[in-house]
Amino acid sequence: MKDTEEIPKQLLVTNLSKHFGSLQVLKDVSFGFEKGSSVAITGPSGSGKSTLLHVIGALEEPTSGSVEINGTDPFSLSEPDLAKFRNDVIGFVFQDHHLLPQYSILENVLIPTLAFNNNNPDTSEEAERLILRVGLIDRILHRPAELSGGERQRVAIARALINRPSIILCDEPTGNLDTNTATAIVDLLFELHYVLKNILIVVTHNLELASRFENRLDLRDGVCSEITTDKP
Amino acid sequence: MRSLWITFRYYWQIHLTVVLCTAVATGVLAGALIVGDSMRGSLRNITLERLGSIQQVLIAEHFFSPEIVDHQNSVPAIILNGSVSAVDSDSRASKVNIYGVTDGFFDFWVEDEIPTLDSQTQSPFPQVVINASLQEELNASIGDSILVSLPQSYEIHPEFLLGERDATESIKRMRLVISDIIPTENAGRFSLHASQSLPMNAYIALPELQKALMQSDGVNALFTSDENPISHNDIKLSFDELGLYLSEHDDYFDLQSDNFLIKPVLSEAALTVASENNIPILPTLTYLANSIVAEKTSDEQSVISKSIPYSTILALPVEEGLFETLFSSNTTEIDQNTYQEKELLEQLRIVKEKEKKAEKVSIDTDKLSEELDKLNSRFKEYGHTYEFRERYDTVKRTYADIKKRLSELKEPIDVHEIYLNEWAADDLAVRVGDRIAVKYFSIDSNDAYITETTHFLLKGIVPIESIAADTELIPDFPGVSASNDIYDWDPPFPFDNGLIRPKDEVYWDDYKSTPKAFIPLALGKKLWKNRFGDLTTIRMESPPGKDIKATKELFVSAFLKSIHPEQIGFKSIALRSEGLKSSKGSSDFGMLFSSMSGFIIIAVALLVGMVFRLGVEQRSREVGILQAVGYPVANIRSRFLYEGVIITCIGSVLGCLLAVGYAQLMIYGLKTWWLPAIGTPFLQIHISIWSLLIGAFISFVVVMFSIYRTVGRLGKMSTVSLLAGKTDSGDTAIPSKHSKKRIIGKKLTLVLLGLIAIFIGIVERGVIFTGDWLSLIMILFIGALLIILIRLLQIKVAEYSLANFSKNLMSHVIVYSICAFLGSLLNILPFSSKVTEAFNDFANQPVFAFFLITLTVLSIGWYYFDKWLKYQSFSSQLSRIRFALKNTARQPARSKTCVLTISLACCIIVAVGANRQDTAPVSDYTYIAESALPLHHDLNSSDGRFELGFSDEDAEVLSKSVIYPFRVLPGEDVSCLNLYKPEKPQILGAPDTILAVEEWDNLADLEHTHTYIPAVGDENSLRWILHHNPKDDFVIHDEAGNNLHLRIDTISNSLFQSQLIISESDFKNAFPSQNGYQFFLIKTPAILQEQTPQILEKTLEDYGFDVSSASQRLANFRSVQNTYISTFQSLGGLGVLLGTFGLALVLVRNIMERRGELATLRAIGFKRELLYRMLFLESSFLLFVGMFIGVVAGLLGAIFSQDSSPSLPWSSMIITLFLIFGFGIIANAIAVFFSLRLPLLTSLKSE
Repeated sequence: MKDTEEIPKQLLVTNLSKHFGSLQVLKDVSFGFEKGSSVAITGPSGSGKSTLLHVIGALEEPTSGSVEINGTDPFSLSEPDLAKFRNDVIGFVFQDHHLLPQYSILENVLIPTLAFNNNNPDTSEEAERLILRVGLIDRILHRPAELSGGERQRVAIARALINRPSIILCDEPTGNLDTNTATAIVDLLFELHYVLKNILIVVTHNLELASRFENRLDLRDGVCSEITTDKP
Repeated sequence: MRSLWITFRYYWQIHLTVVLCTAVATGVLAGALIVGDSMRGSLRNITLERLGSIQQVLIAEHFFSPEIVDHQNSVPAIILNGSVSAVDSDSRASKVNIYGVTDGFFDFWVEDEIPTLDSQTQSPFPQVVINASLQEELNASIGDSILVSLPQSYEIHPEFLLGERDATESIKRMRLVISDIIPTENAGRFSLHASQSLPMNAYIALPELQKALMQSDGVNALFTSDENPISHNDIKLSFDELGLYLSEHDDYFDLQSDNFLIKPVLSEAALTVASENNIPILPTLTYLANSIVAEKTSDEQSVISKSIPYSTILALPVEEGLFETLFSSNTTEIDQNTYQEKELLEQLRIVKEKEKKAEKVSIDTDKLSEELDKLNSRFKEYGHTYEFRERYDTVKRTYADIKKRLSELKEPIDVHEIYLNEWAADDLAVRVGDRIAVKYFSIDSNDAYITETTHFLLKGIVPIESIAADTELIPDFPGVSASNDIYDWDPPFPFDNGLIRPKDEVYWDDYKSTPKAFIPLALGKKLWKNRFGDLTTIRMESPPGKDIKATKELFVSAFLKSIHPEQIGFKSIALRSEGLKSSKGSSDFGMLFSSMSGFIIIAVALLVGMVFRLGVEQRSREVGILQAVGYPVANIRSRFLYEGVIITCIGSVLGCLLAVGYAQLMIYGLKTWWLPAIGTPFLQIHISIWSLLIGAFISFVVVMFSIYRTVGRLGKMSTVSLLAGKTDSGDTAIPSKHSKKRIIGKKLTLVLLGLIAIFIGIVERGVIFTGDWLSLIMILFIGALLIILIRLLQIKVAEYSLANFSKNLMSHVIVYSICAFLGSLLNILPFSSKVTEAFNDFANQPVFAFFLITLTVLSIGWYYFDKWLKYQSFSSQLSRIRFALKNTARQPARSKTCVLTISLACCIIVAVGANRQDTAPVSDYTYIAESALPLHHDLNSSDGRFELGFSDEDAEVLSKSVIYPFRVLPGEDVSCLNLYKPEKPQILGAPDTILAVEEWDNLADLEHTHTYIPAVGDENSLRWILHHNPKDDFVIHDEAGNNLHLRIDTISNSLFQSQLIISESDFKNAFPSQNGYQFFLIKTPAILQEQTPQILEKTLEDYGFDVSSASQRLANFRSVQNTYISTFQSLGGLGVLLGTFGLALVLVRNIMERRGELATLRAIGFKRELLYRMLFLESSFLLFVGMFIGVVAGLLGAIFSQDSSPSLPWSSMIITLFLIFGFGIIANAIAVFFSLRLPLLTSLKSE
């Protein structure tokens, strides 16, 4: 583990705790990662992995502690600013792709650009490029229902990247997929991660998958029991 | 059972919604039926209340002695219409029921105390009891004096030459003191006619009224509470009752009438009886000539020389009996030869006159022919415009005139013969063969006296002896016979005593009314016959071998037996049973409200279907698991159906409670907001268990059908999809296993469409052969519409795709065009004309056009919306609006249901609202007036105004107005203002003058046969109140009880919605004893509009003359129509409410289903407000689309289904639509707000 005080961290989590009523899900979790890092969060069911991801993604406010992304504490922002922050800085990929069935793949990818009305020919081109990258350019006008599970998840990845976020947060992106498809999705994530140089954080049960990440963060009962870094 | 209970508890929201929807459907339907029950029940109560225990009444148009009726327990009374005014104030009331009654009358209402009505009072004026309604109108109290004006009874009809028409003589006034005021209930509400309005009644002690009317014991009504009715057999007629008298002489007896002329029905009966019993008769007709003039001819010029004033002329059979004997014995052969020579000359003169007339007729006929040619050639140019009609009317009148003159030309060339007595011949210094002119009065169509002249040739001179001296044959002339001198005559007709010469007085002294001239009976009848009769005396002798007494007895007995009481105006009315029959109402409010609620039922069915589907979808995992563990689909369906049955039953039971509340609300509405629809707030709630059961049953069936359809869709989703919680069958539907069924359905549908096309070909053959391409296009359009409809109704005709849909459509259009052509060839078949006629009758109905247009527009709207939902193009550019709108396609079925419901509701609201007429109605007439007592004088003539007592100043004002008087046969109001079902409509006799103003062509038809009478009636009144097809003859009874077939030409939105109209001449023939005018239309210059009614009401106060604004009368009719529309719109509004509720429900459900997506959107930076806006836009879009389709369909339907462009009430319509839209928007906003308050992010978690 690297000294967090020496190198400026793009993502800095300090003494993070989260309670749901009397249930404490996260207990005093602290870590930090610099740009270009890839992180796998592992742990048994109910250990607080998704909650940690949501707090990092500023979807849920911590009970105590702080999160800084690019030097900004998202929870200090107003609701509109926070939305803008999430739109600009964070990209999400969920276990269930949550694609909108009535829209085409292209439209689904473009949806994040609508949040702040920055949909323009450039973003459309960017969307097409991303769809090309995820290998679905020939299905660009298809609807989600016409795609396989893996293909849908690829669209979700493209959607997460459309605004070139600093951090990609993936919650069990391969949880509903077979091994081969899951591998392909992870390959794609890494491929894009290397190109875009963002922080990639993936929550997973799959230790084999986790082993491919340079950082692994193991959660047990809400406590960050171990942080492993392969990078020299 | 336990699992069901657990399910109910877990999914309580969905089940509660279905229960509530079912309850609403039951409540609305059963409530509507209860409104109908309440209407009928309330009308029935009024009927029972107003009649007490009265079962039946025997009434007559004349007074009769109650002694002639052999019936126990009958209560005599006099029933008259009159007007009442307070002595001490200006207040007055017209159309008051005046009852002459005894205490026995009040006994019919056992619960009432008998009011104080003492005929043996010490007061100088008799007492009167009035009801509260009259008291309110007069603002009078006990002890006050009132003046009652009544129609005076008459023996000789006022419109006959000898009838009394003097205004002062035709009205009887009584001053009375109010002794008691009874509430307008029970006896105080008594009326012969069924009406929900409160009557104004005055009760006078019968002896007092009889005294005032100079009737010793005469009454005109007998009431009974016996179940055993008074039958006509109970009436023992006598000559007195018939107004006849027999004067017996040594060897003959004379039958004469109090009415001067013997009524036709009686004279016919007498002649028949005499003939049947071989009694020799001598029928005669006496008339009064104003003058008998000797005409001397000189060079074709008639020069009047001498004249005898005021002489009696007797028409009798001159070629038989005593007169023939008298004539023969006093006429020489020379006289006869002289007469024959002169007769030939006279015939030649007549022939020449006819030739001249024929020449003129020929010229006129040529002109008419030219005019007709022009009219035909310019028909298209004029259209059916006013100008065309004017020309058409002129031609028609000319034609009628020519026809009349032609018929005169066809008459035989008869020379009218006359006989004078010696005195007259001497006085005129005439000899046999000389020309004689007789001048006499007759009554014209306006009841005015006109002098007519008939020319005769003197055939003989008879001495004043034998039958020529028999004054017994001459009935008493009122005001004439009893006078000692002619100079003192006081006849009812204009009499100039200045013309009387001393020798006339001598003749009167010597011979009294002995006729001075005699003419043949046939000629007398031709000249003087009228609706009151054609004989004045029938002399009967004893047949050979019988004495005169026996003959008389034989005649009397046979004659009285031959007269049916109904023929002389007795009517037996089963008041109670007829009242109860008509209390079923002119309009079935139950059906009215039910049909109005029909839309709500549809809305509920759609809503329940949707809600239940939501419930099923919500439980898709449960269904998936059950399928996965091996439950057959049928089993799962049954499970859902059981649940449906239970919750629908609960909803139906709740709905019954709701129905009572809903009915009470409707009744409250009818008593307050919609009061014009029922007139008076008399409604009380009446609940029938059957209405509740019917309402509950129908709702149950409709809701269960809806649930059944929803449950039927189970099994179309794959088990895997269901397990994954998928609800959208569009993407994951498993292929149908019923493709064979589909193919059969498709073939059947195509065959059906082909048959329809053939049918269209049959009924519209003309279209194809006359090249009316517009119609052909219309037909093809209908065909296309059918295809679209079938697709929309989800009948799987064919597996269409977007690409081949238009191709399919074109191929169908071509095939159906060929079918239509084949159909047109089938027209040679004998049945086709009937089919065509029946279809055209139906197709010409505005409602057909309305439904056709509305359904077309709705279908097109729904089709394109459906198409938009299914086939949206994709774009690389995505805007927020497009993003929001596209969300409506996520659950197309739900979106369609919402749009369908809302568009239907809006269509109904707009289409119904388009018929509302907000603008004040304008009438061509200024006033409408009715009088309680008939007027016999022409208000348009100065003489008439003078006779009626108008001052010179008032008469001058009145002369500026035009007044159209109508005769009235009393009857029931047939307009929408009367809630009872009318059986005997009021009939108006329209004067000729009105025919020149109104476009009532058929009334002006002089050529109609006697098999029917042309009439005019309001279409809506006929159709909806009388429940009569205007195309069929409407049958009424004439005065003698014979059937009269009225052939009705319909009008609409006129002042005549309460009556049927026939021409005055037909009226007089059918109802000869009705006299005078009681209904008036008045046109007054604007500057005199304030003065005129005041003058009329003041001067004609005794007649109960009541003037009201014609526009107001129209407004009253219109307000009923508008009220119905309001009621309908309110129910339509309720439908929109349900539609909006459904919309909100869909919205909530959609949000719940899309929580993951929405959370994702939030995660990727969509602000909460933005989500609010987009979801709000999404549902508002559905609301807007639904409203747009509905509004356009409703407007086009309303505009194109009416002949003239309707004056749409834009303001009220726009306000209504804004309210609907506003309500929908608010409901949406609330639904979005509460739905998004739920935590979304939990749905994103993978664990």
